[in-house]
Amino acid sequence: MIELLEIFVFGTAMGGIFALLASGFSLIFGVSRILNFAHGVCFSISAYLVIYFIKEFSVDIFSASILGIFFAVLVGFFVYALTKYIRHNVVMVIIVTLAFALLVEQFLLLSFGNRGLTMPPFVEGIQVIYENLRIAKVRLLAIAIAIATLLALEFFISRTIIGKRINAVSQDIEAAKLLGINVEKVLIATFLISSALAGIAGILYAQIFNIYPAMILRVLIYAFAVVILGGLGSFRGSVVASFIIGYIFVATMKTLGAQWSEFVMLITIVAILAVRPTGLFGVKE
Amino acid sequence: MRWAVLVALTLLIALCAMPEQKQVAEQKRDKVVIGVLAPMSLPEGTAQEKAVKLAVEEINAKGGILGYKVEVVVGDDKLDPSVGVAEFKRLATLQKADVIIGGFSSGVMLATMEAMAETKTLFLADASSPSHSAKVAENYEKYKYWFRIAQNNATTFAFDIADMIKMLRNNGYEVKKIYVIRDEHIWAEDVMKTLRPLLLDLGVEIIKDVQVPRNYAEYESLILEAEKLNAHLIVPILALTGTGDVLVKQWASLRPKILLAGHDLAAIDHGFFNKTNGAANYVIFLADGGALVTAPITELCKEFVEKYKAKYGHYPEAHQAYGAYDAVYIYKRVVEEASKNGEKDPFNAETLVKYLERFNESNPIILTRPIAFTPNHDLVWSDKTIRNWISQWQDGKQVILYPEHVANGKLKLPPWMS
Repeated sequence: MIELLEIFVFGTAMGGIFALLASGFSLIFGVSRILNFAHGVCFSISAYLVIYFIKEFSVDIFSASILGIFFAVLVGFFVYALTKYIRHNVVMVIIVTLAFALLVEQFLLLSFGNRGLTMPPFVEGIQVIYENLRIAKVRLLAIAIAIATLLALEFFISRTIIGKRINAVSQDIEAAKLLGINVEKVLIATFLISSALAGIAGILYAQIFNIYPAMILRVLIYAFAVVILGGLGSFRGSVVASFIIGYIFVATMKTLGAQWSEFVMLITIVAILAVRPTGLFGVKE
Repeated sequence: MRWAVLVALTLLIALCAMPEQKQVAEQKRDKVVIGVLAPMSLPEGTAQEKAVKLAVEEINAKGGILGYKVEVVVGDDKLDPSVGVAEFKRLATLQKADVIIGGFSSGVMLATMEAMAETKTLFLADASSPSHSAKVAENYEKYKYWFRIAQNNATTFAFDIADMIKMLRNNGYEVKKIYVIRDEHIWAEDVMKTLRPLLLDLGVEIIKDVQVPRNYAEYESLILEAEKLNAHLIVPILALTGTGDVLVKQWASLRPKILLAGHDLAAIDHGFFNKTNGAANYVIFLADGGALVTAPITELCKEFVEKYKAKYGHYPEAHQAYGAYDAVYIYKRVVEEASKNGEKDPFNAETLVKYLERFNESNPIILTRPIAFTPNHDLVWSDKTIRNWISQWQDGKQVILYPEHVANGKLKLPPWMS
């Protein structure tokens, strides 16, 4: 019982962070058909900048986090501009965004070194969940922030005009244009929202764990895994898949050991895709 | 055409069959070149570069080595064996380094030892796997240029961990079951091989032995499991994972009634307390390399840490700094002794190996630490030379708890355990 509860709580925190990261990746693909290999940059840059602002300018964690997310959004806009004129060429987009990600990784390596960095948490202390099962409060907060952000995103996409336009463009870009929707504005909004989500995910991750330069590409593997499992371009699919991956991750760590977690996660994805090639919520194009 | 090919082939075979000769004729010397080769994106690398430069600055201010100005050339192995080999060769051949100081990763070290053997360059090295000194034992002529100077062979951590358990028992803290969290790497496996029989003798059971990959950071569930399994001690054997700070933070946050005591490489660094926002308090660790900023054991060590701070604005960011600083001074010493004894070329690596070997257990050289080499060029592990002092973080200071002749503090338990 206590083991299951532990897997549930730890897996939800992990899944929530994955969901913030992957839903943005999925949104960008859904709307623009861009495989944004620089998505991990927004994740990492926000966390690194928060640590930098706290250390160098003694900024409090909350203000530093807002600044970190703001810079992640700026990076998102830069990636939008970088890919604007090559969007039609899928391979070129992959090469350019990957090159940008590698460039930023090298920059972080030179500026902050290869050793992982941690940041002070939003909240200190632990919470007793059940009997002897305790969890750091920051992890519970991460679950709350992730779920609240995902609900707000769902509301935004389904209820607001910009959200409906994002939905329309992701369903059929040509039809959206015929309806008079300014597709470029929708794309910009999508990049900015997705980058902010990745920025939030990066900060939450670094609060619980740590951040290091190679994270830029490492989280891309998670984002890819989640998006493929959930169905390319499906926001809801990404969210559901994130939590599935989170639970598999934690359950494997607890039962087989940490060194098996990524292996089991990828095997499970391959197995699911063998049965459902379009992913959990994907549709044939 | 066939004849031409045949002649070329014969020439080639003849060249290969020729006896080995010194490839570069002895040139007139105008300086001494010291190479530093380490992963420069890690504190373990930058600390070595800075320490070497500090020592060289001091030596040059006093007239250099045998009157020659000393120059430092730097290489970055990027924790990659192939890069390490290429950089070693560049430093040894193009830059004409007389001696190379550095290393960190045991895997990279194994590869660079081949470049060392090929170029016959003196290599005063970091890294801790016993496989390095095993190479010297297996093929002395080939690998004799290698000396481990920064820290003891990794198997000695096992003796220190066993002593740590004895020390805890002597202080009234019972240890019967331990939960091991270690690097998924060859060096940690070497430690475990030596540790298991020692624990058996002490009547200590390993209730779980968890291997974690590089950058692993999910320690909370492991700590909870250790608690559930009634472990008395969580023993980290972590270096390359690079997340010792995360383990400490999660341990301090969960406050289990279990001490965290073992070899967490990150805990040796002077900045560790601040890096963990004070969570490191009460963590027991091994002072790998035998020196700590707040507990220097020799006069030179005391001076070195202050000079380092004065020059760079902070204390050494990694313990490898002590080894690198010592390496420059030990090199100077053996060159001067060789010269004094009338050696034809006092900078010759073959010659200097003999002089370095003179610093053995009965004749250590006292630098920032007392240094003595074993016949296989490992550092001698003993109370009187270098060993990994059993230490604890106490209110922002690193305190040595054991052995008693260097101890400057007593064991303190975390308040949530008393």
